[in-house]
Amino acid sequence: MRKWIGWVIAITLGLIGGAALAVSQMRHRGLGDDISVGPWTTARDIGSITTDARTRAVVALRGLLALPTSEARYFTASADSSGRALSGKCSYTLAGGIIEARWWSVTLYDKGGWLIVNRWNKHSVGSAAFAPEQQGDWRVAISPDEQLGAWIPTAGDADFELTMRTYRPHGTLASNPARVTLPTITRGECRP
Amino acid sequence: MKRWIGFLIVAALAGAGGYYGTLHAAPAFLMNKALDRITIGSPWNHFTHAPQVNARAQSVVRPSPDLLYSICPFDLSAGPLEVTAEPIPGRYSSISVFDSQTNVAFVRNDEQMAGRPMRVVLALAGQTVPASVQVVRLAAPRGVALQRVLLADPAEAATVDPLRRRATCRTVGR
Repeated sequence: MRKWIGWVIAITLGLIGGAALAVSQMRHRGLGDDISVGPWTTARDIGSITTDARTRAVVALRGLLALPTSEARYFTASADSSGRALSGKCSYTLAGGIIEARWWSVTLYDKGGWLIVNRWNKHSVGSAAFAPEQQGDWRVAISPDEQLGAWIPTAGDADFELTMRTYRPHGTLASNPARVTLPTITRGECRP
Repeated sequence: MKRWIGFLIVAALAGAGGYYGTLHAAPAFLMNKALDRITIGSPWNHFTHAPQVNARAQSVVRPSPDLLYSICPFDLSAGPLEVTAEPIPGRYSSISVFDSQTNVAFVRNDEQMAGRPMRVVLALAGQTVPASVQVVRLAAPRGVALQRVLLADPAEAATVDPLRRRATCRTVGR
């Protein structure tokens, strides 16, 4: 009898540990992390039956109803270009150039992937915010304090993450996304 | 000592089972949970044209505030479902269909529509479908059809809204 209980405990602990590891990975892996470009990560493939089990689970939890990579490529960043976690207490500058896509946008989410309530009701900046002559060299401010120009409020002290959507990617972004240049994220001043 | 090694091996095998079992079960489980949330405010087999995304009312994780979403949670148990939409001039729009496992079963954007309306029928294996229409066969009855329409500026919502409402989602024969 005692021996039988030992096996049950071993199996139960194993199952719980395995499931907990899977849930932990799902919660902390952007929208896939097969490909890294600076602070940004993305999945090689999304939304198809050939997508690996881990990516499918991560996308179901953190980006349900995401489109396949031929239609849109989603990059996520939870750290700045120096590797420090993105904090709602700090100001950042996103600096980018041409993005090979029909349109793109950068959106700020909490660590669970939800928009954060703020009094400006601002959560994103898209390519439409920049004139054609600015598309090759643009800046977006991310800050708890109101800024002139393209700006996304951090709305709170908590850590956050950014998602860059690139719809209808073409060129290198479509064929070899690991080789593209994506915006840098530079930290400025932080509140105490 | 030998028995402890046996326990460890069994626990490791059970851990691998728990890990991969959770990953494989997660998409269907999470899609079902999302359908439960979506169908609180959206009837089955009809498009609900949601207002612009608001941080205080988010039914699906990681919504884009730059898009207008129309969502049709569907259940093919009562018969095939017809989805129609029209491209909305001068902007990105698309119709996508997600099955119960979160796989994309169909996607068509405005460029692919080339100025013409689109029509697709979703059906389970064995269901009779209308002739001369594109048919997508799904393995399970439930899923979501989603229309996305880009708003370059939130002020465009009033202009775009009547156009996106031309999209339909209905059970065939009803």
